[in-house]
Amino acid sequence: MSDVYIIGSGYHPFGRFDKSYQQIGSEAAAAALADAGVEWRDVQAAYMARMYLPATSGARILRCLGATDISVIDIEAACASGGAALLQGMMAIRAGEADLVLVAGTEKMPRGFMDPSMIYSPWQIELGMSMNPAYWSMRAMRHMHEYGTTHEQIAMVAHKNHLNSVHNPMAMYQKEFSMEQILNSPLVCDPIRLLEICAPNDGAAAVVLASERKVHELGASAIRIAAAAHTISRYSSDFRCPAETMSATMDNLGPTEVTAARAFEAAGFDASEIDCFEVQDTDAFCEIEIYEELGLCPVGEGGRLVEEGHTSIGGATPVNMSGGLISKGEPVGASHLGQVVELVAQLRGTCGPRQVEGAKTALGHVLGAGGNCAITILQK
Amino acid sequence: MSTDTKRIAIKDGLFAGPLDDLAEVHLCGSKCDTCGEMGLGTFEACPNCGSEDLSLKALGDRGTLYTYTVVRHRPPGNYRGPAEFKPFGLGLVEVDGVIRVMAPLLPDIDSLRIGMPLQLKPYVLRTDDNGAEVVAFAYAATGE
Repeated sequence: MSDVYIIGSGYHPFGRFDKSYQQIGSEAAAAALADAGVEWRDVQAAYMARMYLPATSGARILRCLGATDISVIDIEAACASGGAALLQGMMAIRAGEADLVLVAGTEKMPRGFMDPSMIYSPWQIELGMSMNPAYWSMRAMRHMHEYGTTHEQIAMVAHKNHLNSVHNPMAMYQKEFSMEQILNSPLVCDPIRLLEICAPNDGAAAVVLASERKVHELGASAIRIAAAAHTISRYSSDFRCPAETMSATMDNLGPTEVTAARAFEAAGFDASEIDCFEVQDTDAFCEIEIYEELGLCPVGEGGRLVEEGHTSIGGATPVNMSGGLISKGEPVGASHLGQVVELVAQLRGTCGPRQVEGAKTALGHVLGAGGNCAITILQK
Repeated sequence: MSTDTKRIAIKDGLFAGPLDDLAEVHLCGSKCDTCGEMGLGTFEACPNCGSEDLSLKALGDRGTLYTYTVVRHRPPGNYRGPAEFKPFGLGLVEVDGVIRVMAPLLPDIDSLRIGMPLQLKPYVLRTDDNGAEVVAFAYAATGE
């Protein structure tokens, strides 16, 4: 299959802004186009990832750049929306339908817990089963029980990610918190604390994809998409909202394991040859579990991995150099493309204090409601 | 015991048996005749293999706590718990060795432990706009 490249990336910072989603999204798209050195009128198709925005958001956002009569499609796949959109853009180029595609993600969300009616059945909401962190917390509690993962190890993920964000202008907080501050922050759902979860917010990120032919024509500097994969979880493989039950007899591979296997096969290499990672840290525990599911360490040893510093910048397998969603916030439609923007910058070597020296390969991972999982692997 | 007040389940198909006597109300599962997996409530097709050959089966009332959390803040939306919010347990309760059911937990939050035995507790949550009592469920410590 023909290769597809990222030739430009851009973003609107993640945070809370007194701006419309159209402004936020179109600023990110314009930044990506400028970075690629191409004009909007040359783009042949566009995909807009979003979850909490109204119908035809993509058209309404990109119309701000000019109504150029191309195909613009909204993509929704919960927290994996950006990965699903990137996959669609890549397929359009591979199919020969386009040589230049814009893939963007935009979100504008209210503060606090997400509107439960988007995800849960009315009876689950009535009984109080409608808080996303409750589901993450139950996974953490079981992992602590089975493997001895500690409160301190979970807090270390939050500490690392907040520390990494200090130099990232995309992040909402950009603030270091001490272990003591994290461990003394209020419990949200035991064992997960306020400084260990991410906040829904506003933001946008975009990339410009090009065919090999277009890259040569433009003489562009390009990052190759080595793999893009999206799946939803197999039966009873992932206790994530809005699950009502789990099987007590089946032990299917989880969505991260399944999606990673597909992505590694497409890339032709696995996590052992990947230099840096951005993964779904909606809560700090989730990142520990993802270490294990991506194969960065054996099952049960994720807590040790962060404790020994392997996933810090400068460690063997740096994770969430950007500060992760814990410090950036999670504008759902934009979160994965925000990861991709960071990974492109890492591969270009332009990350300054948070740069992973000599990074040549990079992986972005998102996971959310319905067991939606997406993984993108990039190669210099 | 029978009552003049009509009772309905908070979700269709959730319970086995008439709702008049709460002591005799059980959770209802759908067992797949093809793969053997058990789902909670009724389904068009097995959530595992897609087979339409399903048999309704009452689940046992006893279970053990597989994992849990304590919800420390009032859940968003139309939560029908106490008007004055009180932190409560939420957990996965393993029943009959085949299914783990997500349920609110009634024991004191400080007494919750993975592996503790629990017992189904159907109860009337509220009265709906038509005057019918809406039956929901939670799990209590055994003997409560």
